[in-house]
Amino acid sequence: MYPYEGMFLVDPVKHGEDAASVEGKVKGLLEKHGAKIQQFETWDERRLAYEIKGHRRGVYFLTHFEMPGDSVSALHADCKLTESILRQMLVRLEDDIPTYLEKSAQYYEKAHSDHELRRPARREDGQEGTGRADALPPID
Amino acid sequence: MAREKRDKKRDKKKKFKRFTKRSCRFTRLGVEFIDWKDVQTLQRLCTGQGKILGRKRSGNCARFQRKVETAIKRARFMALMPYVGT
Repeated sequence: MYPYEGMFLVDPVKHGEDAASVEGKVKGLLEKHGAKIQQFETWDERRLAYEIKGHRRGVYFLTHFEMPGDSVSALHADCKLTESILRQMLVRLEDDIPTYLEKSAQYYEKAHSDHELRRPARREDGQEGTGRADALPPID
Repeated sequence: MAREKRDKKRDKKKKFKRFTKRSCRFTRLGVEFIDWKDVQTLQRLCTGQGKILGRKRSGNCARFQRKVETAIKRARFMALMPYVGT
């Protein structure tokens, strides 16, 4: 059993119609291959950087789970057969999941403190900016 | 005469000291790895067209340039970032 981080890009139309069933499908796939899901979150629907299978928008699922290493390729193959999954990414983590989550929280704190330093105090629309990361334009 | 020479030498030394050592932004922040989901940071390391900035432009050290590279490529695959911009 190794810790993995998985991201699934899901058809936004099908997710919009019945979110629970799409979520259940992804979870079911993971569990079918012996994964123990430790965290599962859904990102808001957002615009894709480029078109995938005719879709301009997509919903992302981000999961952290433990799975035996030899079922990775089988999981990829099953994802390809599932129509509602447009794309998937599995990354093996170096640390176990709780430490990874802790580290990533620390990472965001540090990495975005740099943004705060580099943000201009004045924004383009003439308003007084906060000079903080939340003043960044939305990525959509 | 001798004194002038000494003063010149001293000036040179002073100039040399003023040189501040610059380091890679990620080593400066004390980050351990680079998250491929962190689009905000990764976008700063790309040109407007979506090309990855070289080390000379980004100022990254070799270790983090390698990590940035894999992170951006992962983000591109998941359509979080563009392969080619407009």
